[in-house]
Amino acid sequence: MPAVTETAVEFFGPEWAERARAAVDAGPDAALRETKLPTYWGWIDNVRATYGESWALGVTDLPGGPRYLKLSWRDGECHAAEITGPDVDADYVLSGPLAVWRDLLDGDDPGRIVMYRRLRLSSGNVLRFFRGIYFFVESLAAVARVPATLP
Amino acid sequence: MTRMSDDVMDAVENSELKQIRDIDIDDVLDYVHRDLKKLPDYEQLYRRYLRQRWDVYDLDFTQDVRDWSEGMSQEERDSFVAISAGFHHGERQVEVELPVFMLGGSEESKIYMSSQIEDEARHTVFFDRFYREVVKMPGATVQEVLDSSFAHVSETFVGPFGLLAYQADDLRRDPEDEAARVRYGTTYFLWIEGVLALSVMKITLSYCRNRGFLPGYYTGFTATCRDEARHVQGGMRFLRDAVQNDPRMLTEIHDTLRTILAINGATSRRIALEALGWSPEEVRRLMIRQLRMKLTDVGISLPPDIQEMVNRIEPELAGG
Repeated sequence: MPAVTETAVEFFGPEWAERARAAVDAGPDAALRETKLPTYWGWIDNVRATYGESWALGVTDLPGGPRYLKLSWRDGECHAAEITGPDVDADYVLSGPLAVWRDLLDGDDPGRIVMYRRLRLSSGNVLRFFRGIYFFVESLAAVARVPATLP
Repeated sequence: MTRMSDDVMDAVENSELKQIRDIDIDDVLDYVHRDLKKLPDYEQLYRRYLRQRWDVYDLDFTQDVRDWSEGMSQEERDSFVAISAGFHHGERQVEVELPVFMLGGSEESKIYMSSQIEDEARHTVFFDRFYREVVKMPGATVQEVLDSSFAHVSETFVGPFGLLAYQADDLRRDPEDEAARVRYGTTYFLWIEGVLALSVMKITLSYCRNRGFLPGYYTGFTATCRDEARHVQGGMRFLRDAVQNDPRMLTEIHDTLRTILAINGATSRRIALEALGWSPEEVRRLMIRQLRMKLTDVGISLPPDIQEMVNRIEPELAGG
């Protein structure tokens, strides 16, 4: 059966937010899991199992001001997504300019985006955030795989 | 650890760059730990820096190029790149993230830290030259060579170096925030330099020495290791003084170690360290030993939960 290609939707629009939530909630498919060691996914699965925090992922220079994709986790399930801004309340607020998001959606390694601090943490405890860092990195990768039309 | 003879200590301490090729990496690692119990002050470390500074452009990679293409097997090359790529990026990372730490602390500390920033920049150039001239990574600029080698960087390095980047941002809000400085120093001086860097040095330099390969890399990275002795001793002095001045800082060290040890071992790829003469268990023991030596020598105690995490350290450099 041929692969179904998702149509691109408006970046930081409500449909994109829901697709992003579904993508991070679904986690990696079997083909993607094959590309990395089982112990790596095991580490992520272990973090995710009880995860109950929220992330606000922001783009700082959209027309009209900053906007955030807020993803809320409860017992390992990503149960809610909303687009909000310019104010946001989440356990961890990370944001960057559109250029960073463009690079991310174009395939830049999300681990490197984090390692080079291209998304800055403006709110939230750094040490607590990093205890789930690879779970976050792979979730960011899932968000980046959702086709989107950028401004 | 064996006690260093005065002759060996003198050789490590005072060798010019050309003589460093004759020094055994184990002697340099002993040299790193020799002063941990009494810990030199920042002025002594700065004076030592002025004596030991070396010119990265004096390194000759001619024989390395031949060894890389004619002497080493593909598996050896793959393993070598996989384990050293982390520090190609790591040296850049500590170079750009250290200036914010220099903004706080005593004037002596600031002067000393200026030398460490220069060290880290020089180490970045060392890896840039090695990857460009020997490994033949493509790229016209430092950034482009970094871009070329990132595909080889293991999550082992992404976690701690990413943590350091975000801690640096935390510190930027108030460079005099002692708790933030201690958390940053634990990641940088204790884990990245005291455990990860020294382990990578031991693994790759032992391989070079045992096989008689890559004399330019051996010379430059052994000189780098001697620089790390100053960094580790200065860093351990900072952590020891911070805890002596305010015992509550021990909690900051512990919390940081909990995070570092929680993300330890989550690596997505396997590195065939056996090609470099190491087993995962040997790497595991090496890392635990490197960590315990620092903690013991400067008197940082660990609660039982962190002791247990240390016992479960994964041989992350080996990829699981």
